[in-house]
Amino acid sequence: MPSPQLVDAVLAHGENRPERVALVSHRRTVTYRELADTVRTFRHRLGRLGPVAGNTVCVPAHKSPETLALMLAAFREGLVVLAPSPDLGGAARDRLCRQARASHLLVVTDNGVISAEPVAQDAADASRFGTPDPGITRLLLTTSGSTGTPKIVPIPLDGFAAFADWAARDFGLTADDTSLSYAPLNFDLALLDVWTFLREGARVVLVDQDRAADGAHLRHLVAAHTVTFVQGVPLLHRLLTGDGTAFPTVRQVVTTGEALGPDLLRPLAAAFPGARFHNVFGCTETNDSFIHPFSPATCEGRLPIGRPVEGVRAELLTPEGKRLSGPGMGELLVTTPFQTSGYLESSLNAKAFTEIEGHPYYRTGDLVTRGTDGLLYLEGRADWQVKIRGVRTNLLEVETVIASHPDVTEAVVVALPDEQAGVRLHAQVVRRPTSSLTGLGLRAHAGRHLPRHAIPSSVRVTEAPLPRTSTGKPDRGLIKADRLKESA
Amino acid sequence: MTSTDIAAEIHEYIVATFLDGEDCADLTHDYDLIANGVIDSLGLVRMVSHIGRLYELPVDELDFGPADFRSIAAITAFIGANSRALAA
Repeated sequence: MPSPQLVDAVLAHGENRPERVALVSHRRTVTYRELADTVRTFRHRLGRLGPVAGNTVCVPAHKSPETLALMLAAFREGLVVLAPSPDLGGAARDRLCRQARASHLLVVTDNGVISAEPVAQDAADASRFGTPDPGITRLLLTTSGSTGTPKIVPIPLDGFAAFADWAARDFGLTADDTSLSYAPLNFDLALLDVWTFLREGARVVLVDQDRAADGAHLRHLVAAHTVTFVQGVPLLHRLLTGDGTAFPTVRQVVTTGEALGPDLLRPLAAAFPGARFHNVFGCTETNDSFIHPFSPATCEGRLPIGRPVEGVRAELLTPEGKRLSGPGMGELLVTTPFQTSGYLESSLNAKAFTEIEGHPYYRTGDLVTRGTDGLLYLEGRADWQVKIRGVRTNLLEVETVIASHPDVTEAVVVALPDEQAGVRLHAQVVRRPTSSLTGLGLRAHAGRHLPRHAIPSSVRVTEAPLPRTSTGKPDRGLIKADRLKESA
Repeated sequence: MTSTDIAAEIHEYIVATFLDGEDCADLTHDYDLIANGVIDSLGLVRMVSHIGRLYELPVDELDFGPADFRSIAAITAFIGANSRALAA
C-alpha cells in the first residue's frame, strides 16, 4: 500500500496481464485492466476533490475493490492514507483524523462515487503527534483498540517493499496464486494477503466482513476460486475445517494471531493435503517477525512461534533488564527490516522502542521462552500478569491449563476487580457437546495443575461458542463486562 | 437436626455463596473444596462465621484448620462434634 512502486506494479499488470483477475468480491470480479483503469480515474478525481500531495487523508478500510483502488490512487498522488477500521465509531475516527492532521475523510461508494469531507483541524488533539511524512510512509495503520486507544502506526515505504520481497520469496508466490483475504483491510495481515498479492499480479478473494463467521460460505470461496494461500486466526481454520472438506488447491497455510488449539492440527492436515504450514508471529509495529514451519499430521502439543524471519533479530530481556543469551524466559524485543519508524504519537516511542547495539528494538510486551533448540514459545503477555492476593498470576497460563481438559474446546480466563483479593479470575469455557463437564469438574482439573490462587473463582461452562471480536478473537472485554454486570 | 440436614444446609450455603449460578449437580459430600479453590482463605473466614452463628459454635475456643473444611462431609462432622445447639 504503502508505496507508489506498488501502484506502478498494479498499473503494469493492467498492461501486461489485463484479463487476469485481480480481485474477487461478493459483488463482482475485477480484472487487472479494470483495477488499473479505476485507479487512473480515481487519481484524476482526487486532484479535483481538494487533497494535495503531502496531505494525509482518512480512508475507512472497507473491504471493497473501490476502496482498494482509492487507496492505490491516493498512494500514487503523494497522499498518506490513514486507514482505520470501518467499524470505528465516528467520534473515535474523528479523533484519529485530527491526531494525524488528516485534511479529508474520503469514502467511495460501490458505484465508484468518491466523497471528500474536509476535517476540522485541532491543534490540541494533534499536539503530541508528528506529521506523517510521505517520503517515509504512505500508510498509517492503527493498533487494535483492545488495549486502549488505537495507536497510529506508520508503515514505512522501504519496510513494505522489504516485507513483500520476503513474503513472495518465502512463500514462493507467483502471479498464479490466489489468496483468501480474511482479516480486515486495516490489519497488518492485509500487507501480505492483499497488497503483496496485488504487487505480484496475483488474485485476491476478499471475504466480506459480514460473512466472516459463515463456515459454509468460506469453504465455498476457497473451493470455487481455487485458493492457494490461506492466512488467518485459528477461528478461520476452525471454520474451514468444520465439515471435513478437503481443499487440494491450497499450497500455503499460515496460522497467526493467537495460539492454535492442538485439536485443530489433524483437521488442518486433512483439509489441506497439499499444503505447507507456517505458524507466524508478528504485530503491527514490526510486521511478521517469527515463523515456524510445521506438519499438522505429525506434530503434537503447542506450536512454537519459531525462529526470527530472515533479517530479524530478537532478544529476551529478564525482569532485571539483562539479555538472555541462552534458553530461558523473558520479554521479547524484536527489530525487523519491516518495522515502523515509530508511533505517530512520538512521546510513546521512548517506552516502546529501545536501542541495542545500534538497532531500534520494539518491546513487544510478550513473554517468550527460548528452548535449548533455539525455538521461541509464546507464554503470554507481560502485562497479562495479574496479582491475586499479591501473587503474580499469568492469565494465559491459567487459560492454557483449563483448555487442556479433554472435554474443553475453548476457554478464556479474565481478571475481575475484587475488593478483597485485588482481582479474582473468571473462566468462560466451551465444553464438547456430548460432555457433562461442570465448573466443579474443571476446578478439580485446575487444582491438579495450578497453584490454588490461580484456580478461577467463578466458572461458566457453556456449549455456545465464545463471543468474538470482528477479527475472530475471543472477546475478552465483552466476557468481562457481562460477568461484571451479572455479579453487580 | 440430623447430620443429613446439616449437610444439605452446608451444600446450599456453598452453592449460594461460592458457586453463584453454576451447575452443582456434582458437588458431592467428599468434593475437595480447598484443593479445588472453591473455598479460599477469605472463603474460610466466611464459612467459619456462618456455621458459628447458625450452629452456635464457640469458634473462638475451638482449634481448627483447613482440613476441617475440606469437604461438605468434613464440615458436617466438625459441626456435629462442636455444636452447642445440637448438644442442647
